[in-house]
Amino acid sequence: MQVSYYPGCDLYTKAKVLNDSIKAAFNAVGIELKELANWYCCGTTFTLARDNKMSLIAPLRILSRAQKEDGYLLVPCSICYNTLKRANYIFKNDPDTLKIINEHLGENYNGGEKIIHPFEFIKEHKDEFKKGVKKSLENLKLGSYYGCYLLRPKNEVEFDDPESPTIMEEFVQLMGAQPVTFPLKVECCGSYLIVNSPEAALEASYKILKNARERGAEAIVTSCPVCHYNLDNFQSKIAGMHSDHQFIPVFYFSQIMAMAFGLPVEVWGLEYNKVNPTNLLKEHKIL
Amino acid sequence: MRKLSRDKDFILRIQEISQQNIADCYQCGRCTAGCPFAEFMDEPPNRIIRYIQLGYKEDVLKAHSPWFCAACLVCESRCPRGVDIPRIMEAVRTIHLRAKEQLIDIDKIDKELLKDAHPLVLMSALYKYSY
Repeated sequence: MQVSYYPGCDLYTKAKVLNDSIKAAFNAVGIELKELANWYCCGTTFTLARDNKMSLIAPLRILSRAQKEDGYLLVPCSICYNTLKRANYIFKNDPDTLKIINEHLGENYNGGEKIIHPFEFIKEHKDEFKKGVKKSLENLKLGSYYGCYLLRPKNEVEFDDPESPTIMEEFVQLMGAQPVTFPLKVECCGSYLIVNSPEAALEASYKILKNARERGAEAIVTSCPVCHYNLDNFQSKIAGMHSDHQFIPVFYFSQIMAMAFGLPVEVWGLEYNKVNPTNLLKEHKIL
Repeated sequence: MRKLSRDKDFILRIQEISQQNIADCYQCGRCTAGCPFAEFMDEPPNRIIRYIQLGYKEDVLKAHSPWFCAACLVCESRCPRGVDIPRIMEAVRTIHLRAKEQLIDIDKIDKELLKDAHPLVLMSALYKYSY
């Protein structure tokens, strides 16, 4: 089975580990992820100013290309997923805007593209993915961290319940590890505030990490490259701000898949983890 | 005593950019209660909305709070009146940015951060904070 997917800029740069491990893991269960031809940036962080249609141009071109392929597109990056899905919501529900952008670009997009996140795809093909599990992660307690972009706004992204989602916990369970739910799993990590108001972003990340640990998580799992960056990269800084901070590894969900499917350790991409997970994985005899 | 100067054009401008009806907010305070960044804001989200309802343009434009909104949309998902507060915050930022007032200058971004910064974080910050 072949599925079109959209990598976005980060799967080629900082989140290369997400790209490599998701492709390998999907391959292991017989699904080939085929990169969308001639894609480019989705525009990142969907603009909320509704009197400006510029931000819809890139998404329409991307979706129009996907439409020529097979009508649905897998999007692993939470930000790209959010941007493309919200733009598509406008294309579906606002024919006047769709017409303006189509005419401007000389495209003929019909608004019918289905954008799907790997968690949704895995849920739909649960049995195949379950069969792929070869290695026991049974004692690994993973805090399922959603962040913002997968969940909100509810009516536009239609992913899961924005206040108490469960799809990630179901994923963790399917992979044979123990899901840990914690109240701050839907709280913002600080996102781009890290550039200009690092103190606010680091404080937000600190609270999330602390909350997950207090609920028993030994590591965090996420799908969002921005959340991963904020939560994993800056733990030394957080420790400098809060003496009670305890380091906790942060994984992409696809790394967990690569482990559970028994893929070679190079595919796990552990060198991308700033907080070293080696001891934890050895402790659970995973490594 | 505050001098009342209700700027109606400002209210309409915010409504036009955000496509939100500012009068829908009945000041329950849930947005502020759930905002992860309210503690860093000089004026909490509900008060910014109130100032806009009253047409207090100057108070809104001098507040730092809209720059602390990470557009995480948690307030939007909890608002009992369906007000998309992040869009209103974006409308305030948009007014600043279109007047060429910006929060960040690319040359002034922390060099340490730039060495290893995530492209999405940089792109988003430049998008939200500069014109």
